[in-house]
Order: sequence, then C-alpha cells, then structure tokens
Amino acid sequence: MLELVDVHSYYGNIEALKGISLSVKTGEVVTLIGSNGAGKTTTLRTIQGLLRPKQGRILFEGRDLGTISTEEIVRLGIAQSPEGRMIFPRMTVLENLEMGAFQRRDRPGIKSDLEHVFGLFPRLKERIAQKGGTLSGGEQQMLAIGRALMARPRLLLLDEPSMGLAPMLVSQIFSIIQEISAEGMTILLVEQNARMALTVADRGYVLQTGEIVLTGDAKALQVNETVRKAYLGEA
Amino acid sequence: MNILKLIRSSSVLGAVGALTVLLFGGWSGAVIGWLLGTGMGYMSSQTKLIANPKTGAQIGGTAGLGLGIWLLVASLLEGLLLLPLSGRPAIPFGTALLFGLAGLGLAVLSAVLMAAFQGLANPAQKQATRLTLAFVLLIFPFADQIAQTGWIATVIQIQIFAILALGLNIPVGYAGLLDLGYAAFFAIGAYTTGMLSSAHLGIEWNFWIVIWIAAAVAAIAGIILGAPTLPLRGDYLAIVTLGFGEIIPIVFRNLTEIKITEPISSLLATLLNRPELAICLVGCTEPFNLTNGETGINPIGRPSLPIVGTFGTSPFPWYYLVLLLVVFSMFMIGRLRDSRLGRAWAAIREDELAASAMGINRVSTKLLAFAMGATFSGFAGAFYAAYITAIFPSVFDFSVSVIILCMVILGGLGNMTGVLLGCIIIMAADRLYLPKLAEVLKGILNTSVLPNISSPALRDFITTSLDPIQMRLFLFGLVLVIMMIVRPEGLVPSAQRRAELHEPDPAANDSLADVRSAG
Repeated sequence: MLELVDVHSYYGNIEALKGISLSVKTGEVVTLIGSNGAGKTTTLRTIQGLLRPKQGRILFEGRDLGTISTEEIVRLGIAQSPEGRMIFPRMTVLENLEMGAFQRRDRPGIKSDLEHVFGLFPRLKERIAQKGGTLSGGEQQMLAIGRALMARPRLLLLDEPSMGLAPMLVSQIFSIIQEISAEGMTILLVEQNARMALTVADRGYVLQTGEIVLTGDAKALQVNETVRKAYLGEA
Repeated sequence: MNILKLIRSSSVLGAVGALTVLLFGGWSGAVIGWLLGTGMGYMSSQTKLIANPKTGAQIGGTAGLGLGIWLLVASLLEGLLLLPLSGRPAIPFGTALLFGLAGLGLAVLSAVLMAAFQGLANPAQKQATRLTLAFVLLIFPFADQIAQTGWIATVIQIQIFAILALGLNIPVGYAGLLDLGYAAFFAIGAYTTGMLSSAHLGIEWNFWIVIWIAAAVAAIAGIILGAPTLPLRGDYLAIVTLGFGEIIPIVFRNLTEIKITEPISSLLATLLNRPELAICLVGCTEPFNLTNGETGINPIGRPSLPIVGTFGTSPFPWYYLVLLLVVFSMFMIGRLRDSRLGRAWAAIREDELAASAMGINRVSTKLLAFAMGATFSGFAGAFYAAYITAIFPSVFDFSVSVIILCMVILGGLGNMTGVLLGCIIIMAADRLYLPKLAEVLKGILNTSVLPNISSPALRDFITTSLDPIQMRLFLFGLVLVIMMIVRPEGLVPSAQRRAELHEPDPAANDSLADVRSAG
C-alpha cells in the first residue's frame, strides 16, 4: 500500500532522514520505533507532504506522493494524528472532528463516521460541546485519533499516541488502536514506547539517527537482543 | 442579579443619553431617546425575565423610564443652566420641559415596544426585532432632519468605517492574521475610483461599475500583499503589513511624474550614446501625472440613479447607499464565515500545521483571507471617494489602520455585532461628541470662567490645555488601556475568545483530569 524507497529529508541543511526504505501492506499495523530525534516524526511528515523529500520516492498505491500537495494526499486517503496531538484548542470537540472531515463533502458519510468515532470513544461524545483545549491529555489524544479517522483514511498515521499519558491511559489508547486495526484499517504507528508498540504491531522498523537499523516481525523484534537492550530497557 | 444588570445597562445608556442632551440640546434628546430606548428594549431580553410580550413591556417600560429620567434631567440642566453658562440665552422652562418629556416619552415608548417583541415566541421575536431595527435605520435620516440634530453626515462616516472594520475582521478576527496596513486597501479602492471616474485622467466611468472594479483591484492588492507574507506569522507578519500600509500612500503621493521608456531600446540608447533611439511608452511629451500627488484627485464623479438623479449635497441618497453597502457586507461576510472557507480560516488561526494536516490549503486560505478583507475596503474606498469627491494620500495614513484595528479589538475580535459596536462607539466619540464637547467647553470657558481670572498667564494656560480635541489620542489610548484590563475579549466577544480569556487554564486542568480518568 505504502512504500518508501531511499527517502532523504532535510530541515534546512540538517539531514534528518538518511535514505529510509520501508513498506506498509494493506491491513497491517507497522510500527516505527526509535529514540528522540531518530526521525520518526520526520518520516510521517514527509509521507504527508508537510515536508518534501530531497531524494527518494514515496509510493501510495502506486502513486508517487513526492510532488502532490498535502490536500491531495489527504484526499487520497492518508490521515495523521500528529505528535503532541495538535487539536484545535478553541474549537469544540464536535468542530474538531468536523475539521478532520474537511476534505469530504458526503454529509451522510460524515455523519455515520461521527457515530463510529463516538462508538470508539464514548468519552468524546460526553464532551461534545467542550472546547478542545480544556480536555485532559488522554481525551485530547482520543480527539486527535478520532479527528484523523473522520477523514475516512485508508492509511492512518499515528504519531506517539502514548506521549505524556498515564500508564492506564496508554493501554486504553493501545487497545483502541487494536480495535481500529481489527476493523481493517492499515496503520503506521510511530512510538517511543517500544514495548506497547510491538505488542499491537505486525511488523516493526527500528530507526536510529535517520537510518533504519533493524526490521522484522514484531514478535521477533520483541525478543531481539539489541531492541531489548536499547528500547525495552532490559539488561 | 438580573435586575442589577438591567439597572446597570439602563444607567450606562442613560449617561450616554444625558451627555448627548447636554452637548447638543434641543430635540436631540428625542432622537437619542428613541435610539437608546430601542437598544434598551433589546438589551432587557438578556435579563431572561421576559416570559411574554406583557412582562416584556413592563420590564422595557421600567428600563425605558430609568433611561428617560436621565434625558429629562439633562434637558432641564442644559436649557436652564448650561446655555446661560456658555453665553447663549437660556430657553424657557416650558420648552426645556417639552424637550425632556419628548425624550422620556420616546425612550419609554420604544423600549416598551422592543422589549414586548422580545417576549414573543422565537421566529416571531427574531422577525419583529429585525423589522424594528430596519425601521429605525430607514427612518433615521428623517428623524435627524426633523429634530435638526445634524448627525447624518457623521452617521455616514460611521457606516464607511463599519464596512472597513467588518472587512478587517476577516483577516484579523477570523483567520488570525494581524494586518496593520489595512488603510492601504481603503486607499487603493478610493484611488481606483478617483482615477476611473474623474476628469483628471479623462476617464469618467459610471460609479456603479467603478465600485466593482475598485473592489476587484483591492482584492488583487490583498493577494499581492498576502503572497510574500505566507511563511510569516505573528509579529513578522504584522511588520510586513505595516510596511505595506506605509508604502501605498507614499506611492500615491509620488506617482506624479511618470515617464516609461521601452527597456531594450533605452539600453541601446545609453550604450550607443544616442538618446533619440529610446522608444518612449508613457509620458513622452510631458511626464504622466497619475495621482496628482498631495493635491489629490478632485472632483470625482458621483453616482446617479434614474429617479433620484445625481447624488448631490442632500445626505439622503448617500445614507441609503452606504446602509445598503453595510447590510450587503454583513450578509456576505456572514456567509463567508459559515462556509468551508470560514472553517478553514478558523483552523488556520488555531494551528496552522494541524490545519494543513487536515488537508487545508494554507496558501489559498490565507490569500483569500487577505483578498476578501481587502474587497470590502474596496467598496468602502469607492463610496468614500465618490462621497467626499476628493481624495488625498494623507487621508489613508497609519493612524487610520490603527483606528480600524482598535474598532475590531474594542468591539470583540471575530464577532460582527461587536465590531459594529466598536466602530459606532469610537467613531461617534471621535467625530461627534469630542468636537461638540470642545465647542461647548470653549463657550463655557469664554463666558463664565475666563473673565473671572485676572492672571493672563493662567488664562492662557487654561485655554490651551483644556481642549478635548488635542487630548483626542490621549483619551483614546486611555480607553484602550482600560478596556484591555477590564474586558480584554472586547465588548461583545465571540464565544471562543471569551472561553480563552475567562475559563480556567486548560494546562492546569490537564493533569487533574488525567488523574481522574486514570483512576
């Protein structure tokens, strides 16, 4: 479904991605793990066209995303729940969700997707008229995922959904991610919390300072010596 | 609590009315009583005490009476005390009483009527309120003429600025793009009209066509300004718009001696040192004068209509034309705000990166915010040029941009009613009350204070320092500072700004709610 071939991205003169190649197949959950500054968020931004690759190709269902605009990419079916959630603080929960469907014009479809999101996150329905900025961190994360789902994507990009959340909430969020995946959604999950990410993912890539150093089945990575030492905090 | 609110608003309006009567005297109390009474009646619905037209009429009547008493007292004070103090003959008690009672009566009557309408069930209530407002606006010029208050010229100016403030509210209030050079678009609209419908360039097109051209040219200027500012945010954007606002009047001031030669031939001419080779395109026999510099363009063609004829010195046609423009602007801006584009503006204002991740085109959204805002100032500029029939570059300087921005902020960023209110308050205070206050104060000083002071130095000091016109900017600044402390969200804030400024800090809430939901 998605394929990155030798992608290089820069912030000014700093090379943030040094030739990344990865692929996501339809229906899979693929995780990209790595420490701070490894280039995880940069990868997602590059896929969505918020950052342009200097070199390499990004293919989504055979189409090259390198030259088309972010709007077009969203319309093709790639939505993102960005790092740090980035919800619209002064809009209500409902308005935030509606913004997610900005590219769509099928009113009945939007309405049924809204019900679907409220089914996944009953919490959001309770707070439907509340301002996004007044939600708790966990609720904001739910809102960010729900907002991305409102675009009715075929590929969902999740950037650090566990960031800054209490452990209880982290497992709650991850079980919802599993639920979304069970409905057939293809997900590319970026995480620092490697342990949780590898339990929900089918496959994983380990990113280190802009390069992919390891890849394999999530189960295999869970027992991999390097991963255990560096990212799972085991001796 | 609600009763207190009612008393408070009735005294605020009463004080405004009393000030009006003290300054203007005569039948002005009747006109202001009618206007404020209508406003009072509308405001009394906010007490939530009104259940049906009958309770509405009772509450409106009470509030109107509270307002009317101010007018009555002020009328007596003005006629019997203030007039002789300022060296004019006092008016008989009976006449002063008549003026006062007219104000009181009209205040009570209009408040009762409007408040009674507020007691109606919803669709009827809205319709009745709108019809009353429309009636007030349509009948105002006649009331002004009958009462001889002479306010209509100022009211037309207020309406011009209302269009400008509504337009500036688009980039600043809706899209969050601070524009400090908005007067430039006003100037562009006015100058386009000036050039296309005056004898100056020999192009004398019909006003009804030129006004659309002016709006289109202003919109294009908006895009030209918007393009280089796309990657900029906040302070940097403000600086660029400020520069744009400074450049435009200077350009109009200096476009007086234009001579353009075809570049290749003129290069050739310099190289070969044979000036006759240069092909001249514009301003060959004498330099081309586009804007006539500081002297400005004058006279500018006026609009004309089949039955009315050419608009002349009578303010009536002008009043209705600008009223139409204001209503049209409000309607269009309201539709824009509720459209997809309006939602994109709101998203850009909230978080640009998140907005583009939603698939919102940042470039076109921002450019359209500038262009749409500029369009309405184009209308205002075209009307202004035709109304004044003369334009000068100095009319469009930085202070105009600032005043319009103040109207938007004072009234309530992002809220049309608030912006209109801010515009009315600032313009009325600046163009109506302050000059009149200066005049009345001068009268009082000259007849009652100065003759009693023997020291010439002190007399000099008083005459020079007690001039409200000179304190204009000081008073203006004072009001803004007080507003920012007392009511930072503006008089009539949009719901979002109110939430932002008056709800508990979301960050502080965050951790608590996290604990709660975790537990």
